[in-house]
Amino acid sequence: MKENILTFENVKLIYHTVRGETVATEGLSFTVEEGEFVAIIGPSGCGKSTLLSLAAGLLSPSEGKVVRRGSVGYMLQRDELFAWRTVERNILLPLEIGKKLTPAMREEARALAEKYGLKDFLGSYPTELSGGMRQRAALIRTLAAAPDILLLDEPFSALDYQTRLNVTKDVANIIRRENKTALLITHDISEAISLADRVIVLTGRPARVAHVHTLDFGENDPLKRRENKQFSVWFELLWKELNA
Amino acid sequence: MKNRVKNFSEEHALWLKKRSFRLAAVQAVRIGILLVLLLFWELSTRLGWADPFLVSSPSRIFSTIGSLYREGTLFYHIGVTLAETLIGFAAAVALGYAIALLLWWSDLLRRVAEPYIVVLNALPKIALGPLIIIWCGTGSKAIVFMTILVGIIVVIMHMLSAFMQTDENKLLLLRSMGANKRQILTKLVIPSTRAAFISMLKVAVGMSWIGSIMGEYIVSRAGLGYLIVYGGQVFKLDLVMTATVLLCLLAAAMYFLVVLLEKILVKNTKN
Repeated sequence: MKENILTFENVKLIYHTVRGETVATEGLSFTVEEGEFVAIIGPSGCGKSTLLSLAAGLLSPSEGKVVRRGSVGYMLQRDELFAWRTVERNILLPLEIGKKLTPAMREEARALAEKYGLKDFLGSYPTELSGGMRQRAALIRTLAAAPDILLLDEPFSALDYQTRLNVTKDVANIIRRENKTALLITHDISEAISLADRVIVLTGRPARVAHVHTLDFGENDPLKRRENKQFSVWFELLWKELNA
Repeated sequence: MKNRVKNFSEEHALWLKKRSFRLAAVQAVRIGILLVLLLFWELSTRLGWADPFLVSSPSRIFSTIGSLYREGTLFYHIGVTLAETLIGFAAAVALGYAIALLLWWSDLLRRVAEPYIVVLNALPKIALGPLIIIWCGTGSKAIVFMTILVGIIVVIMHMLSAFMQTDENKLLLLRSMGANKRQILTKLVIPSTRAAFISMLKVAVGMSWIGSIMGEYIVSRAGLGYLIVYGGQVFKLDLVMTATVLLCLLAAAMYFLVVLLEKILVKNTKN
């Protein structure tokens, strides 16, 4: 039996502003198992990014519990590479922050970068890289600190369509090969279907789990999944559930 | 930028040529305007259109510089003003930057300090002249104090607003890595505001000259500001003009030093 890396138990979160309070989520429960790729989709404005902040421990729930085993790696919409650092120093950033910049860890991070085709770019600045390469560098940065779970906040939405398909495939392959647990939050149904083992559909605000689906493609390549006949079936179902 | 072609097409060579020609033309016109103005100034006094006693002239400024040099006071006056300005500038930038960091660090402090900073910014610092004389005496100390006073508020406001505009997503990213406030400061806030730091220096250069000359107007026995006041009082407009021209040159030199610093510091801050 695989262990749960992340557990949300009856989580409620209230947002406070001067004008009043908003219940972002209430009675939210779900789990992410080790090695699993889970996608969460929901209607816009249901507080998806709030969920990731809760998962990362940046926010504490008003009620309920968020239990996480291990460390997180966060990946955002834009690569957020630091323009004044070389790609190599960007990748080493989480190690620097965590004070884990030992020669061994540094070597491991470098090896990871080389393995995924960033070798020639280590000394370059982010502005010299293409959008796809930058996002790949951002992923390697996220992986460098060897996190136990990856939190992906629509990490492809800022890319143009063609780059996006390629980068999605790229990132999915790397995450699968490194056996990482991942939680993806997106509003893009087809992205969720092409990547995840399991899709969780949220309701509108206050967000709670409406449906959970296990995807049985037997195939992890996002592009091949898109060609699969099942793809449109899933798409239709999730579309209906999202708009219910 | 790496896939730039090495051997250009003829069209590209032509384009480059045109471009450098245009740059040279702008440079030539700039210098030309200055020369024409100087020539007109000189001629108008020689031909009696204007009274050189009231407007001075380039040649008279030149000879005034010469006589100051022979008296041995030229570099003395320049040195006094330059020292006051540079010390005031450095102190205003260092103190202002430190205070801005402190205000960035503490939300409470920032909110408490805000109205004070706004009022101090609006206050014409020259109003404090008499107080400064009483507190610091009538020497260079008072002038440096005035220079700091004029510059520091601008430095604080400029840097604080830059610090506060740090990219929210980058902050989120660092926090998710478990960064503490000091790490956020050194890894993100300070390096990402290097461009703002340079533009602040440019403003502060101007402010410190205002401060030092204003200070010399109020109290001084030496310096370019002193020469201007003294020249005005004894109606030696040659001296006034000479000191003004020297000020222009010094301020320009200081500004270009900052531009040089910019070229070194701000290579990779834009995304």
